[in-house]
Amino acid sequence: MHPNPSRRAFLRGSLSSAALVALGPTVPQFLLAASARAAEAGGESVLVVIQLSGGNDGLNTVIPYAHDVYRRSRPLLGIPAAKVRKIDDFVGLHPSMEGFSKLLEDGHLGIVQGVGYPKPNRSHFSSMDIWQSGRRQIAEEQVSYRATGWLGRCLDTQAANQGVAAHAGHDVPGLHLGSGSGRLPLALIGQNVRVPSVQSLDAFKLEDGGDSRLRRAIQKAVEAPRDPNDELTAFICRGTRSALESSRQVQEAVRRYQTDVKYPDTGLARRLKTVAQLIDAGLGARVYYLDLDGFDTHANQAAAHAELLAELSGGVASFVNDLTRHGHGKRVLVMTFSEFGRRVRENASQGTDHGAAAPMFLAGGRVRPGLLSKHPSMTDLDEGDLRLTTDFRSVYAGVLEYWLGVPSEPVLGEKFNSLNVVLS
Amino acid sequence: MTKDLSQVDPNWAWTAYEPSVDRPWSRRLAAHHYRRAGFAANLAELEQSVARGPVDAVEQLCNPGPLPAQFQATSAMLAQRTVAAGNVQQLAAWWLYRMLNTPDPLLEKLTLFWHGHFATSAVKVDKAQMMLDQNEMLRQHARGKFQDVVRAVSRDPAMLIYLDSTTNRRIHPNENYARELMELFTLGVGNYTEKDVKEVARAFTGWEVLADEFVFNNVQHDTGVKSILGRSGNFDGDDAVRILLDHPAASRFIARKLIRFFIFDEPTAPDSLVEPIARDLSEHEFGIGRVVRRVLGSNLFFSDHAIGRKVRSPVELGVGLLRALGGTTNLVKLAQGLGELGQSLFHPPNVKGWEGGRTWINSSTLLGRANLVGQLLLAPETRYGTSADDTLEAMADRAGATTPLKTVDWLLELLVAVPVPPAAREVLVKLAGDQNDNTDRSRRIADVIHAVSALPEFQLA
Repeated sequence: MHPNPSRRAFLRGSLSSAALVALGPTVPQFLLAASARAAEAGGESVLVVIQLSGGNDGLNTVIPYAHDVYRRSRPLLGIPAAKVRKIDDFVGLHPSMEGFSKLLEDGHLGIVQGVGYPKPNRSHFSSMDIWQSGRRQIAEEQVSYRATGWLGRCLDTQAANQGVAAHAGHDVPGLHLGSGSGRLPLALIGQNVRVPSVQSLDAFKLEDGGDSRLRRAIQKAVEAPRDPNDELTAFICRGTRSALESSRQVQEAVRRYQTDVKYPDTGLARRLKTVAQLIDAGLGARVYYLDLDGFDTHANQAAAHAELLAELSGGVASFVNDLTRHGHGKRVLVMTFSEFGRRVRENASQGTDHGAAAPMFLAGGRVRPGLLSKHPSMTDLDEGDLRLTTDFRSVYAGVLEYWLGVPSEPVLGEKFNSLNVVLS
Repeated sequence: MTKDLSQVDPNWAWTAYEPSVDRPWSRRLAAHHYRRAGFAANLAELEQSVARGPVDAVEQLCNPGPLPAQFQATSAMLAQRTVAAGNVQQLAAWWLYRMLNTPDPLLEKLTLFWHGHFATSAVKVDKAQMMLDQNEMLRQHARGKFQDVVRAVSRDPAMLIYLDSTTNRRIHPNENYARELMELFTLGVGNYTEKDVKEVARAFTGWEVLADEFVFNNVQHDTGVKSILGRSGNFDGDDAVRILLDHPAASRFIARKLIRFFIFDEPTAPDSLVEPIARDLSEHEFGIGRVVRRVLGSNLFFSDHAIGRKVRSPVELGVGLLRALGGTTNLVKLAQGLGELGQSLFHPPNVKGWEGGRTWINSSTLLGRANLVGQLLLAPETRYGTSADDTLEAMADRAGATTPLKTVDWLLELLVAVPVPPAAREVLVKLAGDQNDNTDRSRRIADVIHAVSALPEFQLA
């Protein structure tokens, strides 16, 4: 699926303008922009993070199909130019990414190329910690056993801005929709916020065994008035009423939820559909976090990688389309990342080994579309790995400031040039 | 009684409670005592406690004497099986077994307190034997002298692995343990300098872990003079601990934590209330058991400042429910359920442990608590009472709870720390005794318990 010529020109144009906008904002401007956007959209902006676990092979995702270094380095794994879904004369998407291709055409996909950090770490555990904590130096207060994550710190700030102690509100500030391990990712750990980790919507259901009599009794008992001077009980009571209410809303919304969008039959798509339902139900979470595992393709990469990219692309595309149809397209931003990319040269097992810089995808109704940064050099390599062109914290800073309305420096511990990831 | 803590007379607060006309010894106070000193009382324990009177009741929980050999043997066997299977997840189930069946619940409660204080997570220390050893060590010292437990923790392989402190070289001392020791385990922020951290790190040089065991690596130990909190000398790790505990901030730090754990979550206790307990600690070699006994028998403990003024932790909720009903269930599933409520035993979220209080409460955990109770009640592995075919209905009969009203009162007394509003009670009574309802009585009782667990009052301890 090739973008038409005028679209291609547009995308080339956005690259150069994107290069210009990678400048730091002035604080009042972005805050104003963020809140204006929120008001316009009829709700607060939501970020959906999809972690690609294992180290996604970026070079076979956003493919420099015409470059001879690519051809020479990947005699077996290289994707033929004819099969690549071309974005411009230099790069294109992996053939199985039909969904992303369409999103790009609709102006709903942004691609940040060459994302990484200086002195790359090729250990899964360490590099994932770096991406999730948002800090390269494991500084004293960030050793593993007392670390916080960038999103946790962001949610702490948002709660503080609301003038409510994070533990005094009941709204779910963020949600981890896990695929199995159940452990809350470091990214979501904050000093004060508690982000629930759930496997399914069942977590939002008051299980009454189908006994409506029991449910009604619980509802009635919780509604009975309590002494307003007893602050602790009142706090828990408000929380209980709110929990029952959101539970009812969520279950009701899920029951009523109609969509003509056909989600693919994959794990990621199912979880994204759940997120769409929760957003539509009015759950107050600002951040959703999902993960897709399997990207550590050391051997026999071709088929596995193709399947994963299809799952990612198909799931996200359906999700964005579904949100748009329900009127939420402009207030949701999807962001994907992986703990590192993979080496330029394929290995002897028809796979690739741990590398460094790789692309991140951004999707949504207000995303700044097209290529948002430069492709890494294919000739100036760092011991066989792609050098970064964009520090991942610039992307985080952009998301924090332009999308979530939170100053990035306190969250990231340093000042980074914020990449402007959304249209104003 | 004034609700404002700063007005409370510290002398009165820590004096031993004696029954009076205003505050007679009662089932309510006995239930509160069991809930805090242990996990909850069943009906028989409540009645015994009332008959004994407060002095004996407090003594019974604080100093119950050595554990029965049978219990110890069973516990050891279960622990051994868990470790042999190498399954850290099951270790939580083992501990729940102890909490449910021990005749010394305060020992388990204190061990839980120390587990949260000296937080170590099995996510990183992925060896069941090591986590078990740490747990047993904490239990061994739970009522002992605080200095002994700190010295033991400083040599604990699980702790040192967790804090990336398995090596500590003379040339480049490892500051990780020293920092947490001072900030989280003994003094609290603001009571020491960065220089102190470096010097304490030097004192611990050579304290290492090799092949999962603690070793003192003589060659790596710095034998020079260190300067810690104003004192100088060729200190080693044990000396450093002694110096830290000599600092007045240490006894206040621990006193405050004990008060929060046993008496109330909020507000922060004023210094005037903390002082007498702190002094008691420092004047009696930091003996924990002694101070805990004083706290658990005090006027403040039995006052309205304390009753129902803590948020029930997930472990207290699960174990408390089962103990109150004499129940047992699949403990592996229970451990997992408690983890989903935010308290996964042996997996504290980080080295600060579980913060507790209102942080247990959010919309997902509130629903989760009721759901967990509902699941527990209906699970086929759940058994109640004293014999194999005991039922909720039989238990209700034995308790004299033969009408819906009496049933509700029986359950509320066992399970809820504070009165529920009359309108809520009415709803529960209707649920207990709907004449048109054909479901069996045990099921109806289970429904009432389920409904109770959704009430805000149930979340209070």
